Amino acid sequence: MNDERSVLPEEAYAAALASVPRIGPAALRELLATEPPSVAWSRSSFTLDVARIWRRHQEAGIGVCWKGSPLYPDRLVDDPEAPAVLFWLGDPTVANRYPTVALVGTRSPTRYGIGVAAQFGADLAATGLSVVSGLALGIDAAAHEGATAAGAPPIAVVAGGLENPYPRRHARLWARVAEHGAVYSESPAGVPTEKWRFPVRNRLLASLSDVVVVVESRQNGGSMYTAVAALDRGIPVGAVPGSIRSSTSAGTNRLLAEGGIPICEVGDIVMALGLRGVSVAAPPRREVAEYDGPDRALFDALSAEPASLDQLVRRTGLGLAALCGGLERLASAGAARDIGGWWERT
Amino acid sequence: MLAAISSATLTGAVGHPVSVEVHVSNGLPGFTIVGLPDAAVRESRDRVRAALLSSGLSWPLRRVTVNLAPSGVRKGGAGLDLAVAVGVLVATGELPARCTEGLAFCGELGLNGSLRHVPGMIALADATTPMGMVVPLCDAREASLVRGGDAHGVSSLAELARILRHQDEWPPIPPAGPSPVLPDPPDLCDVRGQSVGRHAIEVAAAGHHHLLMVGPPGSGKTMLAERLPGLLPPLTPEESLAVTRVHSAAGCALPEGVLVTRAPIRAPHHRASVVALVGGGNWSLRPGEISLASHGVLFLDEMGEFPVAALEALRQPLEEGVIRVSRSGGTVTFPAQFLMVAAMNPCPCGEGMYEGKCECSVVERARYTRRLSAPLLDRFDLVVPLSRPDSDQLLDPAPGESTAASAARVAAARSRAAARSEDPPMHPDGVRLLAERLRTGELTARGLRKVSQVARTVADLLGDEQVDGGHVADALTLRKARKTVAP
Repeated sequence: MNDERSVLPEEAYAAALASVPRIGPAALRELLATEPPSVAWSRSSFTLDVARIWRRHQEAGIGVCWKGSPLYPDRLVDDPEAPAVLFWLGDPTVANRYPTVALVGTRSPTRYGIGVAAQFGADLAATGLSVVSGLALGIDAAAHEGATAAGAPPIAVVAGGLENPYPRRHARLWARVAEHGAVYSESPAGVPTEKWRFPVRNRLLASLSDVVVVVESRQNGGSMYTAVAALDRGIPVGAVPGSIRSSTSAGTNRLLAEGGIPICEVGDIVMALGLRGVSVAAPPRREVAEYDGPDRALFDALSAEPASLDQLVRRTGLGLAALCGGLERLASAGAARDIGGWWERT
Repeated sequence: MLAAISSATLTGAVGHPVSVEVHVSNGLPGFTIVGLPDAAVRESRDRVRAALLSSGLSWPLRRVTVNLAPSGVRKGGAGLDLAVAVGVLVATGELPARCTEGLAFCGELGLNGSLRHVPGMIALADATTPMGMVVPLCDAREASLVRGGDAHGVSSLAELARILRHQDEWPPIPPAGPSPVLPDPPDLCDVRGQSVGRHAIEVAAAGHHHLLMVGPPGSGKTMLAERLPGLLPPLTPEESLAVTRVHSAAGCALPEGVLVTRAPIRAPHHRASVVALVGGGNWSLRPGEISLASHGVLFLDEMGEFPVAALEALRQPLEEGVIRVSRSGGTVTFPAQFLMVAAMNPCPCGEGMYEGKCECSVVERARYTRRLSAPLLDRFDLVVPLSRPDSDQLLDPAPGESTAASAARVAAARSRAAARSEDPPMHPDGVRLLAERLRTGELTARGLRKVSQVARTVADLLGDEQVDGGHVADALTLRKARKTVAP
């Protein structure tokens, strides 16, 4: 036992303590409040194989830090409910180096929500802000799809162990976020993604962010937890306004009614950060797509709202063949795009 | 006391000659049928006896044995009744044996001695060539399609006995059998708006491109599909006979004049089983919906709701144009050269295209589209997005363009395509557009071939010799909904 202790680093014991099924987040915090992980472990009577747990994390490339270790994110230190042990993939210093903006929302968004999340994600990253999100289906994924393109590194906070990407279909996005930025989790390797871990994840996500923006959420959506957790910590919460008739905007509209910051453009997020004393450069002006060419009349008939071909036939009076040719030319020029047969400006 | 009478039985849509041997001997009165008869054939004993007696003919109070040769082939249906009855009459000496020489008999008997309709008469008539054929009067027209003057129709057993004794003449074949009058197919002028949908079915009809329409409820998918057969050219005589043969074998109502001359449309319900779609069943091997739709349109409404197995079973016939159905009782081949037209909603609630109205979760949507495997989706050259027409379009009193005008363009495009020996090279604009879409990954190698073929059809519809950028753009547009439904 003594030999092992001299070989294994403190991180191994932190991972082992977090892996004990009987220890909840609060008990773990208490255990590690005063002592380093190896001491806490030696005074306990747990029978887990520390070396094996540590090997498992190392093989999966998972880093471990605990409250008090140098790699532990600065912004969590003062959080009363901060996780005692934190696991990460990628570069854990990201959260210390960049201002962070959480972009969260429903798992079944409308195209409006997906479009906004992707655009904000890309613009925030380009402005030099780290986009924090949960890698869930829908808004979360759209935000990170936008944010991994270029600019400030993205940060993800997930519920389950970092060994297996969840949901499976986001494995590639997951790897991309880990490559450019960091993926955090409170769960050690091998822990499945259980339902109760999502609110816990949402709390961590909120406390890692300088501002939380809810893009689209239903009245009782999981993102509302994130918003409440942020408000509890004095972190400003913004929401993107939506149609009062859209159920996927009911939550965000409620947040606005209750005093959330209306977020209509990236500038609004930057402003919210500025009020918090975080200074950032002005966001790049989003070029209003302009097009001047042979298909000008057709371009004018398009808008940000997707239009069906039949609608365009009526708006332009063009024949179907001429219309298709013009639209494909606009698409080639990057001035228009189609969503499953509906057309809009880029 | 032996008689051998020629007849035929049906397996799938193919007839097999059957020799009905009747032996009447002394012994305890009785009636036995051997030679793999099914229940309907075995029951013919009672029908034949009653029919003979009520026709004023005699039933032998002796031992009657009927053998159906070849004994290895299953015989089904009531079509052998007539042959058994004639055999009994010959074996008991009521009829001279030579009067049945060179004749085959097919028909179901009623207890009163009348002759009733037998399905699959064209196939049965094929199987009895080159003999003369005696059939129920109502089937005489159908039999004469392949047999001409060799086919004779009679209405009752008593009449047949008189004719065979040379006491009467064969009655003339009625001009058109008592058949249901099929309603006229619906016309395209009922469709409001839908320039894309109209264009899509025209392209599908002109180039035989399989079509999948994706749109919310009320966007006219079913209306358009029902009007597509009207755009197809009338069947050629050979096609017409092939279609009639299968329809007759399946027991479908045949149109007035018996021959099916219009392209058929079959629209199986989405709960249809694999067997109902591709054919089969027990050893009688009925043709399925895809064979009944051969040379016409198979319309799969609510494609997302069909069982996966049923959809996957369509892949092989789509490729080969025939469906081979193998059962323990044998293997039969049915024609399956159909134009596949399918319709589905973009998501389970159907509102996927409309902003903010769709209530489906990402998982629900994925489950819905997962039913369409990528290989099956690849069979569709056209995957067309449809949208609901506006209210002012719906209320527009002016009728839309008629089926006739659209069908004329289709016919012209088809003859242009048939007359062309080789395709002129594509205009550089078209090549450039294709190259760009290949580079961005929007098109795959397989997609490229399909788009090129569709672009060719579009050019033919417009009467253009060379495929240019506009035609390619049109063809690309006609598959835009792939993204919506791709698994």
